Amino acid sequence: MTTYPGAGGPTVYDPMTLPVDDNVNKYTFCVELKGSQWFLQKGKMIAYYGSMEFNGVGHGRLDRLVRTSFHSPLHASDWVVAEGSGKMLLADRAFDVNSYDLEDGNLTIRSGNLLAFQPSLALKQSIVPGFLTLIGTGKFVAASNGPVVFMEPPIRVDPQALVGWADCPSPCHHYDHGYMTGLLGGLRAMTGIGGASGEEHQFEFVGAGTVLLQSSETLMAEQATGVVPHEPGVPGGGGVPTGPSQQAGAPRLPGQLGDLQRRFGL
Amino acid sequence: MAFTEINSKMIQATVMPGQRLYSQRGAMLAYKGEVSFTPNIQGGQGGVMSMLGRRVANEATPLMSVEGSGTVMFGHGGHHIQIIELTGDTLYVEADRLLAFEGTLQQGTMFMGSQGGVMGMVRGQVTGQGLFTTTLQGRGAVAVMAHGGVFEIPITPGRPVHVDPQAYVAHHGDVRNKLSAALGWRDMVGRGSGEAFQLELSGSGAVFVQASEEKL
Repeated sequence: MTTYPGAGGPTVYDPMTLPVDDNVNKYTFCVELKGSQWFLQKGKMIAYYGSMEFNGVGHGRLDRLVRTSFHSPLHASDWVVAEGSGKMLLADRAFDVNSYDLEDGNLTIRSGNLLAFQPSLALKQSIVPGFLTLIGTGKFVAASNGPVVFMEPPIRVDPQALVGWADCPSPCHHYDHGYMTGLLGGLRAMTGIGGASGEEHQFEFVGAGTVLLQSSETLMAEQATGVVPHEPGVPGGGGVPTGPSQQAGAPRLPGQLGDLQRRFGL
Repeated sequence: MAFTEINSKMIQATVMPGQRLYSQRGAMLAYKGEVSFTPNIQGGQGGVMSMLGRRVANEATPLMSVEGSGTVMFGHGGHHIQIIELTGDTLYVEADRLLAFEGTLQQGTMFMGSQGGVMGMVRGQVTGQGLFTTTLQGRGAVAVMAHGGVFEIPITPGRPVHVDPQAYVAHHGDVRNKLSAALGWRDMVGRGSGEAFQLELSGSGAVFVQASEEKL
């Protein structure tokens, strides 16, 4: 927990005492720039010391950067490059902020949670819609609703609590509906009496890696990850010819097993 | 002990075969092992009559029972979570503050009027508890949600504790509570201190207070 300095009142920071590339408190992160660059999401800088320039990505001379760090130029307009020397404070609506180091690794994160990253990392769209993947070596800053907890697979995670995962190649859906089977369960499914537990659907992770959870089921606003090419075989691309098995139909209640026709094999 | 704190907003519960947990629906964040979550029609323990009682008392928060073997992580809405260990005494708490509790605890509903008659009912209205509150009795752990951090104030005989009704979370032990009103002419003319009503708890036990006056 936070320790309060006895008589001193709130800690006063100046450019010398601000931490270097570390958290100032749970909700603020300080980045030191020495002629280097950082990428940050638009509007997440709250204060800075020194001389810095903030430029939108993708205009003129920063074009090369986009080529090396953004491999999907379509959403580069949501990002800003900070350049210069000094110290910069990052925060996002009083959400918990943390920095993470990647060493020649990969990490996939929900698009709304990523605040800033070093240009030595490459940002790519994940195949999973709404997620971004960071590849390479470097530091990045992410926000979460409540502290982030690291978990080892095998684990099943509530979709709303998932922040991201590193090195796990197998994010997949998992459905629990054991209580919907049997006679009583059938009655339950038919009549809707008893309701659903709200936990029928999880994301399942197996294999070696790390899964990042936030301590709450309140999602952060999603950031556009950019449009994927409209071609067959691309998830979310809309180019997939919908077969009879993919009929959208009416939105299904959680826990409902499937349409009647399908259940009877029609 | 079934619950361990991971951080201030998240707890981990160990589920073993034959031991049942109850938790608020939708509060599971993640789990390991083979664990099943079954929505509970009755909203907790007891038979149909208990269920009806809770429905009438408006203390029927949707619960699910958690069974199997493994570990489950719980958290809800970014609220702070306090784990309370009960050793045979009774915890009085609002049903919607319950995040999870062990199946070894006896769940019941209490009429506020049974503690101090009409004043008890008035007290229920002021604290936002309504006319009824939920009781948990026995041995086991309860995870309670609160806005902001929670601290525990012990109540010893002869030293009553005064709590802002909005910051009250729960209490346990042999505690009598009454609403003390310090209404004066200033309140009537709109120049009150905003602290006209206080909850006075006396006896022996403990009261849990949240660091915020916001309701869940």
